[in-house]
Amino acid sequence: MGISKDRIKFNVGGRLFETTATTLANAGRDSFFGALFDDGWNLSPQDSVIFVDRNSDCFAVLLDLLRTGDLNVPANIPERLLHREASFYGLLDHVRTARWGPFDGNRLRLSDSVKGTSPGDGTAIRAGPDGGCCVAHGSVVHVYDWMLEEHSPINLDYQRVNDVGWIDSDNIVLSACERLGRGDGGMGLFSSSSGDLRYKFQVSHDNQVKSYTAGALSFSPDYEIFASCKGRSNEYGIGVWDQITGKQTDFFYESPGWSLGDADKLQWLNGKNCLLVATLFPRKDNCYISLLDFRDKNMVWSWSDIGSPMAIDEKRVRDAIAMEDSNSICVVNEFEDLGFIDLRMYGGSVRWSSRSKLMKSKMPDEPCYPKLALHEGQLFSSMNDSISVFRGPDWVLTSRLRRSYGGSICDFSIGGDRLFALHSEENVFDVWETPPPPII
Amino acid sequence: MSNQKKRNFQIEAFKHRVVVDPKYADKTWQILERAIHQIYNQDASGLSFEELYRNAYNMVLHKFGEKLYTGFIVTMTAHLKEKSKLIEAAQGGSFLEELNKKWNEHNKALEMIRDILMYMDRTYIESTKKTHVHPMGLSLWRDNVVHFTKIHTRLLNTLLDLVQKERTGEVIDRGLMRNVIKMFMDLGESVYQEDFEKPFLDASSEFYKVESQEFIESCDCGDYLKKAEKRLTEEIDRVGHYLDPKSEEKITSVVEKEMIANHMQRLVHMDNSGLVYMLLHDKYEDLGRMYNLFRRVTNGLLTVRDVMTSHLREMGKQLVTDPEKSKDPVEFVQRLLDERDKYDKVISTAFGNDKTFQNALNSSFEYFINLNARSPEFISLFVDDKLRKGIKGIVDVDVEVILDKVMMLFRYLQEKDVFEKYYKQHLAKRLLSGKTVSDDAERSLIVKLKTECGYQFTSKLEGMFTDMKTSEDTMRGFYGSHPELSEGPTLIVQVLTTGSWPTQPAVPCNLPAEVSVLCEKFRSYYLGTHTGRRLTWQTNMGTADIKAVFGKGQKHELNVSTFQMCVLMLFNNADRLSYKEIEQATEIPASDLKRCLQSLACVKGKNVIKKEPMSKDIGEEDSFYVNEKFTSKFYKVKIGTVVAQKETEPEKQETRQRVEEDRKPQIEAAIVRIMKSRKILDHNNIIAEVTKQLQPRFLANPTEIKKRIEALIERDFLERDSTDRKLYRYLA
Repeated sequence: MGISKDRIKFNVGGRLFETTATTLANAGRDSFFGALFDDGWNLSPQDSVIFVDRNSDCFAVLLDLLRTGDLNVPANIPERLLHREASFYGLLDHVRTARWGPFDGNRLRLSDSVKGTSPGDGTAIRAGPDGGCCVAHGSVVHVYDWMLEEHSPINLDYQRVNDVGWIDSDNIVLSACERLGRGDGGMGLFSSSSGDLRYKFQVSHDNQVKSYTAGALSFSPDYEIFASCKGRSNEYGIGVWDQITGKQTDFFYESPGWSLGDADKLQWLNGKNCLLVATLFPRKDNCYISLLDFRDKNMVWSWSDIGSPMAIDEKRVRDAIAMEDSNSICVVNEFEDLGFIDLRMYGGSVRWSSRSKLMKSKMPDEPCYPKLALHEGQLFSSMNDSISVFRGPDWVLTSRLRRSYGGSICDFSIGGDRLFALHSEENVFDVWETPPPPII
Repeated sequence: MSNQKKRNFQIEAFKHRVVVDPKYADKTWQILERAIHQIYNQDASGLSFEELYRNAYNMVLHKFGEKLYTGFIVTMTAHLKEKSKLIEAAQGGSFLEELNKKWNEHNKALEMIRDILMYMDRTYIESTKKTHVHPMGLSLWRDNVVHFTKIHTRLLNTLLDLVQKERTGEVIDRGLMRNVIKMFMDLGESVYQEDFEKPFLDASSEFYKVESQEFIESCDCGDYLKKAEKRLTEEIDRVGHYLDPKSEEKITSVVEKEMIANHMQRLVHMDNSGLVYMLLHDKYEDLGRMYNLFRRVTNGLLTVRDVMTSHLREMGKQLVTDPEKSKDPVEFVQRLLDERDKYDKVISTAFGNDKTFQNALNSSFEYFINLNARSPEFISLFVDDKLRKGIKGIVDVDVEVILDKVMMLFRYLQEKDVFEKYYKQHLAKRLLSGKTVSDDAERSLIVKLKTECGYQFTSKLEGMFTDMKTSEDTMRGFYGSHPELSEGPTLIVQVLTTGSWPTQPAVPCNLPAEVSVLCEKFRSYYLGTHTGRRLTWQTNMGTADIKAVFGKGQKHELNVSTFQMCVLMLFNNADRLSYKEIEQATEIPASDLKRCLQSLACVKGKNVIKKEPMSKDIGEEDSFYVNEKFTSKFYKVKIGTVVAQKETEPEKQETRQRVEEDRKPQIEAAIVRIMKSRKILDHNNIIAEVTKQLQPRFLANPTEIKKRIEALIERDFLERDSTDRKLYRYLA
């Protein structure tokens, strides 16, 4: 095995390249190069040139990717072309990995802004597991892959979409409003690539299938789907379905004087084996936050602002998120004041950290309520046109992401090592990524 | 208007569709199809991978994925059908080889085809959720070759035949076997299980059913087990050589079931070779084999254990109830220890120190040791023997070993209090006669008893040791304060605390004047130093060393009991004395005196006095005189008292009675303790609880408990319930 034996020559679309088998081995067996050098294929003698009928500029970029692991795309190469070529060689995953690094809220950079065709006022944006995302607008959900190419939209025939969630990179669950007199609505499983309906989740009550409106969604690692449900009569509460069989496995009925079926937000807490259910102002006049344990059908913790002094309406809870590590629930009001409720105490009160009273003066014309997200110890809170990043345990503001085009941020989502922020005035969403690690 | 617009749009779209060469797809597919043919014909050297990959890519790109996919399936199916015909045509032994060869070819081809179709695999198949190329290729092989009617059963039969041949000792091509079986595994777990494993297990089951029947008719148990073990290892080896490791458990369970479980009872009970035979003849290796094989099947060890237990019980019962064997207590205990050692060894070497077997051993010993009511006494006598002289010359470690073994037997005893009684007696004798060999050994045993039975059990025994120690100090003090006594007879007094020592009625006797003077001095010394005490002389337990000069001037030192000394001293002043005179002078009770005279006059070689008439027994009319001709090659002569070491029947009864008496307060205490906490309890429960509480000391007799309850009722500790006569109430 001399050194010369390692050398490989290519003629790609008329341009000569020379590289080594070692470099090409980085492509892996399940790639064009992996197959090309497999023993089964009798490659012509060493010094002959292997012809490949492809674009040479892209080949150069991809060869460098194999050599260094870095992706450097010259301005004259369109992304789509590069992706097309990478797909030919079976290197799309390599490109995807090299494109952006592991998520870090304090090192994010804006990598793209995608303008959709529909008008503003999006309902929700949800990041997919492999870098794609979907945006719900009224009755349509637009699906984008990690290359930010739009796939066939999911069209719900005039039913309003309430929430969206990814089961895996190929399957999306939608929850939709029931339309009076039509008996449809509820939840459906759709293909992210084709937009086709694959399955409809049903709610049964006394062995009868009922029509219902599904609200917020959440998923557990045990392949369960949770959704807040409102039916015609009794079916108010939280439904549970199995992701694999699609069958309803449980239903937690709402008790009088409490709200579950209207919930804005569900969050599965894996450590506590509980589901956080939050119904917030203005959907209801009061806020209801509870933790449900489905194993013994028990509400293990609850909090509500009923009866608490409401002198000024600034302390209205607009979003809530449970932080298992610090045993607390973080809430936010419309002025982006963060508050914390201790999960270990029953009937505790909100401890507000009065951080940003200044904001009150410069409220935009069309405000959006703040939203919260948690990712690996970092807390994200959206307000107007920016997203603040806080770091525990004291929740200090460490970064702020802002881009003023498109108006206030109405929703954002973190997943697949990316952060997607959806603006409300114009139908634009921003993609924030962590750049690949520095060279040295 | 909007309708019109829509239609316009559609027409436009139609207009602009790029029309590719209509024959494009067919042409491209032909290239690929030809390549697949060439690959299958092993003629791929001229093919360009790049060209084929590009063509397959282009077909998918131009939306001909479906055509490509079905084309690949159709072409591959055709090839496999052809191959299956070739395989089928292969004759005899070459059949498997041909199949293996074709399988390898197919794998190679499949890989190359997958390489060409890689893009389709990634995109078209992924998005349409069809079967990927590689698994598709495997299932095509399965459907068209392995499940092809003319191959399916033939393949299975060939494989089973080979296994059968190997079992009968022929050498087969294991490599080929492994490859073919590997094929089944590659085709998926269900294929392996359905098409090979299940029939293989069925055939094996049949084979071993027949074979084990043959073996059991012709072999003895040891040989049979050897053969079974060999078969088992063979099957495990077979799995290692060419089967799925997951099959090991299944095939071994087949062998276990057919060869062991089905014949378990017969094997264990085989005459002249079964378990009992092995135990009797120390066949450790066979026992080990039996254990290891029987362990594998349900109830296997249970069977072995049951048979061992019943054998042990039978053997032990004979051992302890045979009157011949219980003549010598030391030998009796030694035999028990030997049996225990033996079974310990069986369990540790052959039965892998199995806890359940140890338990069975213990319960068996517990069962039969208590069959003989004299076991506690004998064990104590055994200890006595060892601590008197047996241990001399043995190092400490061995002493510990013997004592530990004795403790083991002690643990089996139900009547531990009886043992305590005897042990106390024997210990007292040892201590008082100074016969105990090693203080350390004595104490070590006491410590062992203490850990086993608690402080209460040994407190009196320890008190005895303390008495011995204090007496030494007292004697030193006594002679220190009476220096004038250094000449003349020496008196050694051991002051025994009442209660600590086995009580024996003090038998008075007239001590010789020389001695009684000394005794008085000691009494006044002792009472002078300790107030409020009372001394009683236990002359029946003392010994004396006296110097004697016989007729021809032979000098001897005689080691005798106190009574014997009293008798001998009389002869200092008289040549001849009648029995009556001796009795009057000494006032020793008749039975003791007779025994004492017997040992002085009737034991050959030690008869320091003579009697008239000469006979074995002492009569009231006999007379005695000094044996002037007494000789002995030793200067010191020990004259023993004629005492039965083992208790005589009346003595035994007496001890028994004392034990029963001692038990009464213990049973009563237990009843009161229980009733105090329970307040109300029915008869059966009281019996059960009392028995349980007293278990560590002795096995309480239910009738005795009932008597004690009645006694307590009389003394107003308890009362019967007025309605339910079976209920007792505690009266505070």
